[in-house]
Amino acid sequence: MLVITLNINGQDVSAPAGVTLLEACRQNGVDLPTLCHLEGLTPVGACRLCLVQVEGARRLMPACTTEAQDGMVVQTHTEQLKEYRKMLLELLLSERNHICSVCVANGSCELRARCAELGVDHTRFEYRCPDLPAIDLTHERNGLDHNRCISCTRCIRACDQIEGAHTLDMQGRGVDNRIIIDMHQKWGESITCTKCGKCVNVCPTGTLFWKGSTVAEMQKDVGFVRWIKEGREKKQWSYI
Amino acid sequence: MAKKIHIEPVTRIEGHAKITIQLDDTGAVDEARLHVVEFRAFEKFCIGRPFYEMPGITNRICGICPTSHALASVKAGDSIMGVAVPPTAVKLREIMNWGQFVQSHALSFFHLSAPDLLLGFDSDPATRNVMGLIQKYPDLARKGVRLRGIGQEIIRIVADKSIHQAWAVPGGVREPLTAEKREAIRAMLPEAFETIETALNLLKSNLDKFAEEVKIYDFPSMFAGLVTPAGGLEHYDGLMRFVDTHRKIIEPGIQNDKYRDYIEEASESWSYLKFPYFKSQGPYNFKESAGMYRVGPLGRLNVCDYAGTPRADRELEQFRRLGKGGAVTSGFHFHYARLIEILFALEKIEETLKDKDILDDWVRAEGGVNRLKGVGMTEAPRGTLIHDYTVDRNGLITDVNLVVSTGHNNMAMNRTITNIAKQYIKGDNISEGILNRVEHGIRAFDPCLSCSTHAVGKMPLTIELLAPDGSMLKEISRG
Amino acid sequence: MANKVRLATVWLGGCSGCHMSFLDLDEKLIDLADQIDLVYSPIVDIKEYPHDVDVVLVEGALCNTENLELLLQIRERSKIVISFGDCAVTGNTPQLRNKLDIDDILTKVYQAGPGSIPKGPEAVDILPVLLPKVHPLHAAVPIDIYLPGCPPDPDRIFLTIAALLAGEKPQLPAEAITFG
Repeated sequence: MLVITLNINGQDVSAPAGVTLLEACRQNGVDLPTLCHLEGLTPVGACRLCLVQVEGARRLMPACTTEAQDGMVVQTHTEQLKEYRKMLLELLLSERNHICSVCVANGSCELRARCAELGVDHTRFEYRCPDLPAIDLTHERNGLDHNRCISCTRCIRACDQIEGAHTLDMQGRGVDNRIIIDMHQKWGESITCTKCGKCVNVCPTGTLFWKGSTVAEMQKDVGFVRWIKEGREKKQWSYI
Repeated sequence: MAKKIHIEPVTRIEGHAKITIQLDDTGAVDEARLHVVEFRAFEKFCIGRPFYEMPGITNRICGICPTSHALASVKAGDSIMGVAVPPTAVKLREIMNWGQFVQSHALSFFHLSAPDLLLGFDSDPATRNVMGLIQKYPDLARKGVRLRGIGQEIIRIVADKSIHQAWAVPGGVREPLTAEKREAIRAMLPEAFETIETALNLLKSNLDKFAEEVKIYDFPSMFAGLVTPAGGLEHYDGLMRFVDTHRKIIEPGIQNDKYRDYIEEASESWSYLKFPYFKSQGPYNFKESAGMYRVGPLGRLNVCDYAGTPRADRELEQFRRLGKGGAVTSGFHFHYARLIEILFALEKIEETLKDKDILDDWVRAEGGVNRLKGVGMTEAPRGTLIHDYTVDRNGLITDVNLVVSTGHNNMAMNRTITNIAKQYIKGDNISEGILNRVEHGIRAFDPCLSCSTHAVGKMPLTIELLAPDGSMLKEISRG
Repeated sequence: MANKVRLATVWLGGCSGCHMSFLDLDEKLIDLADQIDLVYSPIVDIKEYPHDVDVVLVEGALCNTENLELLLQIRERSKIVISFGDCAVTGNTPQLRNKLDIDDILTKVYQAGPGSIPKGPEAVDILPVLLPKVHPLHAAVPIDIYLPGCPPDPDRIFLTIAALLAGEKPQLPAEAITFG
């Protein structure tokens, strides 16, 4: 296995060749905040929380989709980066309707956790208060509330890559993007959904939830993603 | 010449309130009006949410009695689900509810009213508040703070949070009671009993000092509240009873979902709080107080046949004598009734904790949408509270109607301040003490939906005497 | 002897839960009384918001014109203004009405029964005008400290006040600034 060396925050560190900057950082004790990233799903660089400064690069680079290269010099926690991360979270808070106090995911929500961890105690941006599509409760087990979505696309990736059904996808662009079911249908009418619940488990916020869940009742379990992925890669289960 | 007197701000009912007093040409009071000025549109912005989120959302209607809204909400949810709530869960919900009564009534009596009652209506405004009470009666004030604390702690023990809990849910509750938690509640009861007995004795032995107030606050009206099927005092689940001013039963026990056959809500352009009235005594007429009824501690004690616990029944028997054979009609006795209810709640908690199934862990029924309409009716400390939800087949709310406790008392509150104003205001002679007395008229109802502590001691009031051309003749400020 | 800190608490468009959480400090409040002069609050009798307030806890969102007028006055007359609770910090539940039209709401809420609807000249004269949208406090004035929570639990309230009484800026850990 090839090993590369790079400099992170003034320290020379090493990492296996081929890993992302995010992995290189985490393997060397430097934690970067993330929201759209979930180990086991392909990274997309949607949330931009993991932006880092790479010497020589014209722009800030998302660590989750950037391959770590030998000789890279990286800064992960400059004052500018710290401020940008706060702004990103604040933009998310103001984009849709996030009312933590009455949300099913209060206590397990990763957006709320990132805000607390990074010291975001309010948003400087004006709340948009968009009028979003109605909550979809037509599915037998799952509910979908667009008010809480941060467009991380974990649900889309989990359904496509782990379950293989590709029931969920995205329509629209920018602030108008929305998670959709099949060809923009009601979830209860989907012919592709296997009702496995993987999407609900990987959703970092209260967008996808088990029907009947009351305030702060949602518990998510993402352990299965890695379990399944590793099992497949290492051919841990014999099958004919 | 007709004049209009403005008093603002007054106690909050869900925000600020104002009082206007209209004088007629002779300078006598024609009418006083209570204007409720806060509005948040809960009934409209809830549309489109799942019905099982409603307990969490309606919690936020009021920070003093969120538990009451949550219970009315989960009961509406139980109905929509069409489930039988496990008996243990019902009892646990009741324990939380009684804890709520203890804390809310204690707040009203000690933090709000005691300064007036013990320090005097006309005492120095600077100290006529709970801080002043702590100075003059440190022992009693501490006891009062502790009593409220005990009520909050009971809620916290069963429901994990004292304010805006999420433990009561449609179908039951989320966690059972453990033996440890039961003992923790039990340990607090002796102190609570001692405090409430002290407070009751104090009030009863001083009642004669308030003879004038008792008289002014006295007017005939119907009374309403929930009762058990046998006619006993009830705070969580029962049938709604109406009695007239002689305590004669007009409606013995209305099923919760039939309330609209008996109660109609009118509105006026000068207040955001609606005016529920008893339909068969309509049509709606504000000036005549048509269909007016009072709810809350006074309402509940008047409609019930008995309390059902030994100490409370003893107190109730003594209390009833004030009615001289009919209902106890003086609004001043809300204070007295409130204390009896604290005693009742403590006794019921003690009794229920002894139940052999109280630690059972089957506390939640499961279900989906089995009815498209659910009405949850319960007693909040301030009166009967109704949550009426309509949902679609997926459980999304399509319509909400909330009849909040203080709303039932809206007409009666207006009547009370009119009476007080008529008694004390004649022409130009408005003194600072009068403002306080008018305020106390509202305070006795312990108006809910918001923090009644806005009026602990004295509310900031301005009275403007305006000439017919709108120019200011005189301004008296207080606070 | 150090001067007492002039503390005020105000309640705008909220439910009072934050104030109730404040009262949940129970006897700690009575003990704090030595260091604090409560100069304006739902629980004392002051008519007008006083000048030279050292610290003020403001609960509730901006829902109507009177909330806004009072907030401007508060900012002018206070050194440290704290947005107290989620309604003040984020708008919270009152903000749920923002996607609805106010005129429409008033009509729908009140038209069902007899009587008249509270909007129009007589209403506006006595009732405060509703703002078209509900806003958090910092939409109108600069805020010094944000104290989220619905309600903020007594511990984080105490942490904040104790720090301010000691003349320090409150350093709240991550678990003390969570929303909801």
